[in-house]
Amino acid sequence: MLETKQKTIYEEALSRGISRRDFLKMCTALAATMGLSFKNSDKVVHAMETNKRVPVIWLEFQSCSGCSESFIRSTHPKAESVLLDMISLEYSEVLSAAAGHQVEEAKHNTFKQYPGEYVLVVEGSIPGDEFTTVSGKPARAVLEEAAKNCKFVITYGSCASWGGLPAAKPNPTGAVPVTDVVKDKPVVLVPGCPPIAEVMTGVIAHVITFGAVPELDRFGRPKAFYRHRIHDKCNRRAYFDSGLFAESFDDVGAKQGYCLYKLGCAGPTTYSACPEMRWNGGTSYPIQSGNPCIGCTEKNFWDNGPFFARRAKIMGTQTTINPDKVGLAVAGAAVAGVAAHAGITAAMKKKEKNGSEERGE
Amino acid sequence: MEISNTGNPGATYNSSGAISSKSKKNLGRVYVWEAPVRIFHWINAISIVLLMLTGIYIGNPFFSPTVPEEAYYSNIMNWVRYIHFFAAFAFTGNLIFRFYWAFKGNQYARPNPLKKNFWKQVVEATKYYLFLPNKKEHSPGHNKLAELTYLIFIGLGSIIMVLTGFYLYLEPQFASVPFEKVAFLFGGDSFSVRSFHHIVAWFFVVFIVIHLYMVIRDDWLNRNGTLSSIFTGYKIEEKHDHNDAGQKPEGEKSE
Repeated sequence: MLETKQKTIYEEALSRGISRRDFLKMCTALAATMGLSFKNSDKVVHAMETNKRVPVIWLEFQSCSGCSESFIRSTHPKAESVLLDMISLEYSEVLSAAAGHQVEEAKHNTFKQYPGEYVLVVEGSIPGDEFTTVSGKPARAVLEEAAKNCKFVITYGSCASWGGLPAAKPNPTGAVPVTDVVKDKPVVLVPGCPPIAEVMTGVIAHVITFGAVPELDRFGRPKAFYRHRIHDKCNRRAYFDSGLFAESFDDVGAKQGYCLYKLGCAGPTTYSACPEMRWNGGTSYPIQSGNPCIGCTEKNFWDNGPFFARRAKIMGTQTTINPDKVGLAVAGAAVAGVAAHAGITAAMKKKEKNGSEERGE
Repeated sequence: MEISNTGNPGATYNSSGAISSKSKKNLGRVYVWEAPVRIFHWINAISIVLLMLTGIYIGNPFFSPTVPEEAYYSNIMNWVRYIHFFAAFAFTGNLIFRFYWAFKGNQYARPNPLKKNFWKQVVEATKYYLFLPNKKEHSPGHNKLAELTYLIFIGLGSIIMVLTGFYLYLEPQFASVPFEKVAFLFGGDSFSVRSFHHIVAWFFVVFIVIHLYMVIRDDWLNRNGTLSSIFTGYKIEEKHDHNDAGQKPEGEKSE
């Protein structure tokens, strides 16, 4: 086991040849990413000067590694500056150079060396024991072991946060989210399929700066990145308000950049930083590029009906319907029923009238 | 099949609910719907129609400016939403008043499902509408099945619409409004709340169809001015000693 004096993040950066000036620039950018005001950037600087790199264990279960792929494309802060300067990634199936017994040993050393200090990052949902094993142990046992002594848990992606694709009905592997397994530690949910890279690194940066769980919304997502609804920040919102909608993917409206509401855009029910932070270093995001939002940061979004149609879900089922079509059919059935009832009433009335006349009343 | 009411000398009703001609005595104007009830009814009716029309547009915007243009000249969805919200406030205020009047109004404005007789009469009224022999009591106001339907559709249905509706209305401003906890009643997330709002809205359309039919049917069979009573407040009903709140068995099968 290597015994070295742990450097602070600032010292680590200096030793990598980063100037004081660049270090301050990085801290200011980080403060902006976290949604802090400019005058709070000295807090970030102070944290980076005094805090040591945070040990992180990154576990992966039923996932596609898409979240890891997204993470390493972060531009501000750059993924390498997060991975090399800010955190100390002790275990990751995608990024670790070591493999097999070596990396398992590194993981267990972290458990012993930093009890209560390391942050546990989880990617992917946790299936029934027979479906996923890591080094011979079922996923649930691996997670329970790692969560026992962690400081808190960050779940990257919809699978770890809410079950995601593996848990979509009928959920053949019995997949559950991390919160179903880890009950005694704070869990920060960072959903998305995948989450925006800068949101992922921003959450880590917040953890390092303040050493605490960020402010969360009622679902457990950090408010800094999930407090706004896409619809309210959308660059196409003006077209919605004007009643200008693309009717299909290749009509005039679509070419003009009209609102994608009628193509099933889930923006009105989805909370994410997409319209503000955008993707690929702030280049664009799905709606800007002409594709309706599929609502990937929302719970059970796979079960909320087809992506390109407006539907309503019948509560407690996986059935989605077109409420206007079904409603119109039911109303039509009511009209038919009423007409039938009126017919019977009229017939009975006539019969009674005839009966009265026969008796000479 | 002559069905008459032998146990009740005051009036004779046949199975379809009409008063037989020979029993039409003591008829007079009975004040059934007080002014607050009538005003409630019409504000409610107008706001529901507005809410439904604008709501269908919001769910599926079925008309748009036809010429390709920029989002500068028209403001259709904003106006439709504005009308929807305005009608929603009227609907909600009106509903709150009606809940108050459910305790302060006259006997026809105060349904009480806690009474045992209420549920007995619901069964009897159901039999009556299925053309079966029954012991439905006649009331100048609503029968108990009607009262139950109002409690479910206009009572519970409206509460669901108000809660889900205001959730959606306040959604972008949750930082300052503690309304978001409502969502847990309706599945938790924004999409579930929206689905609830949209599906329950159609129950009101079904309600309106049946409501209109029942009103016209009652007026047609009993000639008691049901249709005009929601304007005037008066129905033409048999006047008798009001010792039993104007209720008599009707449509009882004798042999």
